[in-house]
Formats: sequence, C-alpha cells, structure tokens
Amino acid sequence: MSAVVTPLDHPRAGLDSCVHCGFCLQACPTYLALEDENDSPRGRLVLMRAVVEGRVAIDDADVATHLSRCLGCRGCESACPSGVPYGHLLEAAREQLAAVRPLPFVARVILWAFARPAVLRVALWFGRMARDTGIAAELARLPGALGFPFAMLASTARDAAVPWTPRAARTRGTVATLDGCVMEGLFTDVNRATERVLAANGYSLCRAPGQQCCGALHVHAGDAATARRLARANIAAFEASGATFVAVNSAGCGAMMKEYGQLLADDPDWRARAAAFSARVRDASELLAAAGPMPGAPLPRRITYDAPCHLEHAQKLTAPPLQVLAAIPGLEHTPLDDREQCCGSAGIFNLIEPNVSERVLAAKMRCISATGAPVVATGNPGCLMQIGAGLVREGRGAVARHPIELLDESYARLER
Amino acid sequence: MLERAAELLVYESDGLPGYHRTPSLAVFPASADEALAVVRELAREGVPFVPRGAGTGLSGGALADGAVLLGLQRLKRIIDIDPVRRVARVEPGVVNVTLTKAATRHGLHYAPDPSSQTACTLGGNLAENAGGPHCLKYGVTLNHVVAARVALPDGSVVELDGDDGGYDLLGAFVGSEGCFGVALELTVKLTPNPERIVTLLADFSSIDDAAQTVSAIIAAGILPAALEMMDQATVGAVEASIYAAGYPTDAAAVLLVEVDGAAVGLDEDVQGVNRICRAHGARDVRIATEPAARAKLWQGRKKAFGAMGRIAPHLVVQDAVVPRTKLPSLLARIADIGAANGVRVCNVFHAGDGNLHPNIPYNANDRDESARVHVAMRQIMQACIDAGGTITGEHGVGLDKLPYMDALFTPDTLDGMCRLRDVFDPERRANPGKVVPVRYCRERRPGKLMVDGRGQMVDGATAATITAESGA
Ligand SMILES: Cc1cc2nc3c(=O)[nH]c(=O)nc-3n(C[C@H](O)[C@H](O)[C@H](O)COP(=O)(O)OP(=O)(O)OC[C@H]3O[C@@H](n4cnc5c(N)ncnc54)[C@H](O)[C@@H]3O)c2cc1C
Ligand code: SF4
Ligand code: SF4
Repeated sequence: MSAVVTPLDHPRAGLDSCVHCGFCLQACPTYLALEDENDSPRGRLVLMRAVVEGRVAIDDADVATHLSRCLGCRGCESACPSGVPYGHLLEAAREQLAAVRPLPFVARVILWAFARPAVLRVALWFGRMARDTGIAAELARLPGALGFPFAMLASTARDAAVPWTPRAARTRGTVATLDGCVMEGLFTDVNRATERVLAANGYSLCRAPGQQCCGALHVHAGDAATARRLARANIAAFEASGATFVAVNSAGCGAMMKEYGQLLADDPDWRARAAAFSARVRDASELLAAAGPMPGAPLPRRITYDAPCHLEHAQKLTAPPLQVLAAIPGLEHTPLDDREQCCGSAGIFNLIEPNVSERVLAAKMRCISATGAPVVATGNPGCLMQIGAGLVREGRGAVARHPIELLDESYARLER
Repeated sequence: MLERAAELLVYESDGLPGYHRTPSLAVFPASADEALAVVRELAREGVPFVPRGAGTGLSGGALADGAVLLGLQRLKRIIDIDPVRRVARVEPGVVNVTLTKAATRHGLHYAPDPSSQTACTLGGNLAENAGGPHCLKYGVTLNHVVAARVALPDGSVVELDGDDGGYDLLGAFVGSEGCFGVALELTVKLTPNPERIVTLLADFSSIDDAAQTVSAIIAAGILPAALEMMDQATVGAVEASIYAAGYPTDAAAVLLVEVDGAAVGLDEDVQGVNRICRAHGARDVRIATEPAARAKLWQGRKKAFGAMGRIAPHLVVQDAVVPRTKLPSLLARIADIGAANGVRVCNVFHAGDGNLHPNIPYNANDRDESARVHVAMRQIMQACIDAGGTITGEHGVGLDKLPYMDALFTPDTLDGMCRLRDVFDPERRANPGKVVPVRYCRERRPGKLMVDGRGQMVDGATAATITAESGA
C-alpha cells in the first residue's frame, strides 16, 4: 500500500468486509444489463481493492470505465449481508479518480453550473422556455441519446395545478423546505404542492434563504471539495431558518443532506453542526407519514409506484411514500416488478453514460408497460425525468408524477 | 471477451476470496451456439478452459489458473416451463431463484435451494450437485435434473438423459465440477408448492442439547422439510446485518425446523417437533405460519455466511458430512479444536443431513492467524473423516479440498475417478487441476500431452508426478 493516504484508504475496512458471496450481483442494474462482473458491485470492489493494494493504477482505463459506469444506486447495499458501505467506497474511489483523470466534458459543465446559482438559474430558464414553447417536445423526436435530454425536459410539463389553501389543524413543528435546483427550476408546481400538503398536515413552513444545490451530483462525480462548500452554505442557511425539520422532496438531495455529517466528519469546525443538521433532514414523505397523513378526496386513477434508489437503498425508506399514496382514496395501485431496481437516471449518469443508462431504462420500461398503468409515481426529479422521458418516447400517453403531486390533487378535490 | 489485466482481476476468485488465480482470457458467449463454438475453437487449439457460472462456489472450483475462463452468466434464458409434466428447460446461466419465481404462477418451485440461491446459477448447481436446507426432504440437485445437453471438451455434443437405459451418465455428470464438459441446457423437475408450511425456531442454552434434538426429531419418524442449526457466533453476525431475523443472540444454538405438506395432519408434526425440542431443553420454541414471518426467519439463515464478513475479512468455509448421530460429539470436538488453536469457529449447517459447515472468519493478512486457521481446519476435517464422514456435502472439492482427498480415498479409488474423467475429457483440458490430485492419476501416458494443475500442457508422465498445490 502506498504511504500517501488516499481517499480510498479511509473506508478500507469497508472494502475488507466484502466476502465475495455474490448476493449483490442480481441486485445490480449494470450487471444485469451488461453481464460482466467488472460492472457488478463485487467486481468493482475487487477493482477498488486492487487499487488500494497497488496492483492497478486508479487511472487505468478499464478501472475508470467500470467505476464510471456504476449508477451509484446502492441497490447492492440493500442486498449485502456483510454491510459493505458501497456508496461511500464508490464516492472515495471517484474522488481518487477525479484527482488524476478529468471528468467528461459534459459532466464538468453540468457540475460547474450546479455550483453557481446564477448560472443555473439562467440555464433552467432556457430549459423552461424550450419546454413551454413545445420546442423540447419536438426535439425529443431526435434519435437515440440526442433526443433524450429533450424528452426529459418535455416530460416535466404540467397542466396548471388547481390552487387551494390548506387549513392546518395543529402544528407538528416548523419546516423549511429545500427548494432544490431541478425541483425549483423544472418542477416548480411539485414544490408548491409539497408546501401545501405539509401545511395541510399540520406543519408550519418557514423559508431558508441562502440555500444552494445539495452537492450530491458533485460527491457522486468525485468532487467532494465543491460538495463540502455547498454543504456548509446549506447548513448555515437552514440553521438560520430556525426550522425543526428540513423537508426534502427529492430523494437524491435528501440522501445527500442526511450524509452531511459524514461528508464533513474531518472538518473540526463543522463536524458537530453538520451532524446536527443531518439529524433534522426528512424526506417529505416521512413527515407526511408521521402525520397520518390526512386522507384526501377520491382520485380514481390507475398507478404504479417506482422506488427511487435514494429513498429505498440510501435512506432505507420503503413505507412512507406508499403511505402517502395510501392516503388517496380511489387510487388503484398495480405493484411494479423490480420496483427497487434503478431506472438508470442516477443523477447525471444518463447524460454521461447514455448507452448503459438506456439499457437499464429499457428493463424498467418493460416492467412499467406490463402494469399498463397510465401514471408512474416516483419521488425524485431524476427518476421523474428518466422514466418521464421513457414514457414520452413510448408515446402511449402515460406520465410520471411525484406521489406528493397526486396527494395534492386529491386534497384540492376536498376543497371543491 | 476480456483479455486486459485489470478486467481479468475481477475473475480471479469465486465465493472463496482466499484464492486468486488469473485466467489468460475470459470469454462470455451470449448463446448456447456461441458457447459451443468457443468450446470447439478451444478444442482445435488444445487450450484448457474452466466453465464459470455466478462464481459463488465455495471450493475454488471456477478458478482458472492461466486457462481460459468460459463465463456462462449470459445464457440466462428459461426456454420453457411445462406445468403439466412439471419440468423446465433452462440455459445454464439461469439463476436458481429466477426459475422458482417464474414457476410460482403455476404453483410450482425448483426444490434444491442452496443458501446462495439468489445468486448462483443452475449450471453451477448441476456441476456441484448443490444442496440446500430443503434437500433433507426433497433431495439434492441430482434428484431434480432430468436431462442435460453437454458440450464435451472435444467439441462434440451429447444429450444425457436420466430416463434412458444404459449407464447413468447424467448421474456421473452431476457433480463433476466442470471437469467433464460444459452443460449448455438443463431439463429440471419442478415441485408443487406444499399446501401448508410451518417454520419453528427453537433456542437452546447448550449446543449439545440442540445436536441431540436433531437426531431425536428424525428418530421420532418426523421428516422435516428442513432442519438447520446455527451457533451463537453465527446468530450474532446475522443479527448485526440487514437480514436480522430476530434470533435470540444469547442462545448457545438455535434450530430452524420447517415442516410442510398437506394441511391435514401437519399440526401433529408441528406439535411433535415442539415437544421434542422442549424435552431436550429448548428454552423457547417460536412457531411461524405467516409467509412474511417465515421468510424473515429464513432470510437470516440464508445470508448467514455473507454476514460473517462482519466478523473478519476472510473466511474459510468447510463442508463436511458426518453421520447425524455423531453430531453432538463432533461439535464438542470442533469447539475444542477451535479453542486449542485460538480461532473462532462459527457453525451454521444443514443439521438434518449431518452436513456441517464449520466456518472460521479470520484475517488472511495476519500470517500467524492464517497458519492457526489452517491447522484447525485440517484437524476438523480429520475429525470428520475419523467419525466416518466425508469432506464435502455440497460445495465440491475444487481446489480447496484437494489436500484432503488422499485422507479419504485410497489411491485405487482416486485412479478410478481419473479414468471416469478420461471418458469425458481424455485430454484433461476441462477445469484442469481440480477435484482429484493429479499425482493420483496413475495411468501415465508418456508422449501424450496433458494439462497440469497450472493449466500448462505437459507430458503425461510429468503431469502424473506433479503435486497438486493447495493454494492460499
Ligand atoms: C453465501 C453462500 C451460500 C452457499 N450455500 C450453499 C448451499 O446451501 N448449498 C450448496 O450446495 N452450495 C452453497 N454454496 C456454494 C455455491 O453457491 C454452489 O456451489 C453453487 O452451485 C455454485 O454455482 P455458481 O453458478 O456460482 O457456480 P461457479 O462457482 O461459477 O462454478 C462452480 C463449479 O461449477 C462449474 N460450472 C459452472 N457452470 C457450469 C456449466 N454450465 N457446466 C459445467 N460446469 C459448470 C465450474 O467450473 C465450477 O467448477 C453457497 C455459496 C455461497 C457464497
Ligand atoms: S450502486 Fe447500483 S450500479 Fe453501482 S454497483 Fe451498486 S447496484 Fe450496481
Ligand atoms: S453482497 Fe456484499 S459481501 Fe457479498 S459480494 Fe456483494 S458486496 Fe461483497
């Protein structure tokens, strides 16, 4: 082993706890799609260990390829009896990789933009324009990876929500919501819906100005430094809001913010603050589930539910989103086969590894088609756009919706 | 096809990470035809090869030391399921549990259920004659394979059918550990799901009491579907994992007993087991009938081996079978051996079959500990052989158990095995150097090229004298 301490040396014990049993293989979407153990959790762990032991270099072209092809979905963690902390190992490996090998150009541009609110606002404004003028829907017809981002964009279109005013019965504590870059930029209605349903369930809302991107995309790509900078800004912003809970309706952001404690563990000034902050972060569905949630008016609709990886595997939240859906009378829920398998979105994975992503999505779309449901509920912007794009391209008119949107619609009907 | 060093690293080990052997090349055919074409090409070139399924084997069987690795994980088509004849035709890369899932809608399942069933392939099961908890009542892989289409190492294709007259060549092929050829297609039996299933968890304050109970249940004329035992160390590892099943962590041992069958009369068996457990000192017996509660109890058992990664990074896994009545004395002996060598033995095993799995978690980077582990293992295996047992129940000999073969078999028997192999693979190119130590193949064939344990082509006379190496 080299004398220099590298990011991968930290979680070394986690690497050693892999007993090579293979239970994770069938839980891994990239292994199922590519059928090579180099693209499996067990295989990637072997590669990481080989790097730590100095048997191969981190920037070996093959090592880099297989580590880059990982979705970071952490489906493997949910299958591992030995408790291998795969997600952290991957982040460490990518951090080590990023130090010697620049990210693909597309990824660098995206990450750069996400770390700069002003730039991002402009970019998202263009996105909304392309969507609202119908240009995105047109360009979505372009073949293959070319049209895919436009299909993603087109899928975020919504009919104007029916406005209604929540009447809260009692207060369950103050909540500041994370706006989220993509959520506020492209799913504005979902954010407003989240605020309404939280209020209707007894939470009082407050604002947390100064909040920024959660940094998840950066950590997953190996840029931990930027992620730490964003994390500090967010911790300060939410501390200042005085809220009891930080509510997040994006599974990926929630998972990241629950891990700020670990992200800043080596920072003596921020360690304690970060841990305290993480302890207050909740997925919006958790808060709703804790409140009941209050039942809505009947919404007769056939749906299926797809579990976002960062809820199911990273945050280990299986029940709360289902409880949200169960509060809506009249929903007819057809269970989705392999609902805990990744859809291939994985942050910006679909933009930098389009081929792998497409194969993973194809498997997901087959399962969705088999349910015949016209609505797929899933609580993460990446998944909403990935599955949404798949549905746009499928052209049978089915749509992807956040479970909270459905609850909001059901509550709106109560008012009428 | 993989040939670059970094990518081949990943195929250096199977389920037993203590061994590393690097293949010269790894090939992943996408169809049976492609697989056959590869086998023929290898035959033409005279190159040794090793079939590999999911690489969950626990004897180093799928390791290729310089040979070509033939990965079969892409052959994962279930060709058809015939619910009337209750058989399925499958490709060898189909994962065990996938077949059961596909058969569920016909009220059927594939009975052999190795604990690795969510990962291992049916081809690997065939090659290892895999067992599982429910094999106590339903039988092992051998009892469930009806036919197999096999590519022999020379590139010819044979259909082995258990129902045909003549010698039972299918029987010889099952458990041949990849040394007789490559299974390209399997026809297997499907079993009707039992009408009712009840799972019992009995907890004991002494290992001896639990072991006595095992024999007592069978002696009482009850044939449980499964009868498994886990000791305290194993229970501790499982309970710390995401598969925590609610086992009592303070028990010296727990028995997991399942009875199944027609709803009528099943309660008698349940009460029978309950009574016997309590009569032998069980502190508590939990009875689960709901599918969710039963599944939870089983999850813990099935993931027990993987959970041991929580104790130490490396693991030696043993797989001895002893007469059931010898279990109590043998478990005591194993505990003594562990204590004498200062190593921690975790027992989790198919008690009803007398199929022991004494596992020792350790750190392979600690030379002193590794040495003690190896001494302990040898002593344990010898104790099992002395008790009239054998060295593998279901994991196969592979590379790992090679050193024990001569303690168990006479040179004549080993030579007989070599000759049987020669019927299928006279050049000994398929999975070279596994199962039978090469030195026991007495028929020296000067002038004829053969493959030694390292996958090198050598003169037959030389091959016969090379000592098989034990690895790790
Ligand atoms: C956690 C865990 C629990 C386990 N529990 C059990 C258990 O309860 N019972 C049990 O019996 N085993 C058990 N095993 C061992 C292992 O899962 C079995 O031996 C299994 O049958 C191996 O299947 P595989 O597909 O992984 O084969 P591999 O490990 O890839 O290969 C095993 C052997 O089969 C040969 N082979 C593979 N495919 C073919 C083919 N198509 N044609 C010819 N030869 C082939 C290989 O050359 C090799 O010699 C367990 C393993 C683990 C890791
Ligand atoms: S994170 Fe997802 S894609 Fe990556 S190894 Fe684990 S299961 Fe596979
Ligand atoms: S399930 Fe866990 S211990 Fe087993 S091979 Fe995968 S990562 Fe390793």
